[in-house]
Amino acid sequence: MPRYVMVIDQRNCIGCYACVAACKTENDVPLEHFRTRVVETVQGEFPNLRMELRSELCNHCDNPPCVSNCPTGASYKSKDGTVQINRNRCVGCKACIAACPYDARYIYPGQGFADKCTLCIHRIKQGKEPACVATCIGASRVFGDLDDPQSKVSQLLSEANSSVLLPEAGTRPRVFYIRKQSKPD
Amino acid sequence: MEITITGVNAITYPSLHIWNWTVSVYLFCGGLAAGLLIMSAIANLRAGPANPEDRVDTVRAALLAPFVLMFGMFFIWLDLERHFNTYWFFLSFEPAAPMSWGGWGLGLGLPLSLAYALSNVSQEHRQWLRFDFLKELAAWLNPYLKPLAKIVFALGIFIGIYTGVLLSVLVARPLWNTPVLPIHCLVSALATGAAVIILIATRGSTQLFFTKINLWLITTDLILMVFDFLGHLTSGASHRESILPFFTYTSQYFVFGVAFVLIALLFPLALVSMLLCVKEGNKGELSGATRFRMKLSAVMVLAAAFIIRLAWVYAGQLTKLS
Repeated sequence: MPRYVMVIDQRNCIGCYACVAACKTENDVPLEHFRTRVVETVQGEFPNLRMELRSELCNHCDNPPCVSNCPTGASYKSKDGTVQINRNRCVGCKACIAACPYDARYIYPGQGFADKCTLCIHRIKQGKEPACVATCIGASRVFGDLDDPQSKVSQLLSEANSSVLLPEAGTRPRVFYIRKQSKPD
Repeated sequence: MEITITGVNAITYPSLHIWNWTVSVYLFCGGLAAGLLIMSAIANLRAGPANPEDRVDTVRAALLAPFVLMFGMFFIWLDLERHFNTYWFFLSFEPAAPMSWGGWGLGLGLPLSLAYALSNVSQEHRQWLRFDFLKELAAWLNPYLKPLAKIVFALGIFIGIYTGVLLSVLVARPLWNTPVLPIHCLVSALATGAAVIILIATRGSTQLFFTKINLWLITTDLILMVFDFLGHLTSGASHRESILPFFTYTSQYFVFGVAFVLIALLFPLALVSMLLCVKEGNKGELSGATRFRMKLSAVMVLAAAFIIRLAWVYAGQLTKLS
């Protein structure tokens, strides 16, 4: 089975929000909710300021707390390593939302099930990339199989330092970040 | 270089609101039912062949417990977003999910606590039961009182600890993620159980006995709360920040500051009041005023225990790993 991961090369992100819009359109994400977001933070002391644009989404963790805390088995780790939700089994107890350190989940208004990024699994099955990756004009978001050494994600991760969000949570995320300062200019 | 975050875009940043007061009511009622079951079970297991009139307060606690449990379960059911999918709790068992343990524990515990309640009804009091089948069931269950007491004792411990485990396993919420919380919840459950027995007891000696028990429980509760805060304070940055809502009187956190002040007032007040009552009770006859003060202290304990759960449920959701 492939080992799907996403690499977010922050060096190329321009904060255009095209990924957010594409995701909402592709997945019919309800108003006021997002499966992916671009967090903008400004750090430092004036005049030495640095802005970080960081795309965030479900990390499809190898040790997902949302899955281990789901009381009905509605949240599950599929064979390709992505974390998915069986909407019919979901009782809307919100334990997964509380358990996710990345705040990647929300309750779908009106229907009550927990919803989140599926890595556009329906597109992957058709041989396409996730909508956010396909639309990213700066090629900041890269998707692929980490077990394939020829894949772009493997090459990117081998040539640059990468990090994951909240490693202390012990979730072993599958979304990797290449930060601006990770490669010397 | 000092790093300060000066801005976070609000457009796509999630504002987390997971659970509300219904969960607090559930945790409070679950703990209270656990406390009632444990206290009543201990009384039944330690007592010899007693006069039915001597057991009346224990019987009241046992009768009350399943209804308190049902009340709490109703509120957690209300909190579910998909009420009609509740059956999925009982079509699967997820050993790593505390809520799955809770679903099964409460699902099996409720009929057990009902059976225990009925087994407590002695022949002299069975005329109070409305339906004939209940009278027959009570007569059939009565010989199993002690085995059932052993089972509900374990059930009470399970429920009392579970109300804390439910929150403490969530690594993502630093305020909840502490091993002290389940023990704290169990002790608090016992204290609320004892408090309710003080309120419903008909005999002064029972009230005095449970006031003495509550003295120790409240003291333990306070010590555990201090350790809880100390544990957060001496832990990582996220844990240190997680207790800020209780000590930062800003507009965002003001309500948590008020909750902390109330808890810090109610518990010591109840403690002092109980100490005075015990002192007077040990001298001899209990006056009406002393019995009233014992009941007032019990109300303070219940109020503080509810405020703790309310504050913890809401404040925990404001905390996150950073």
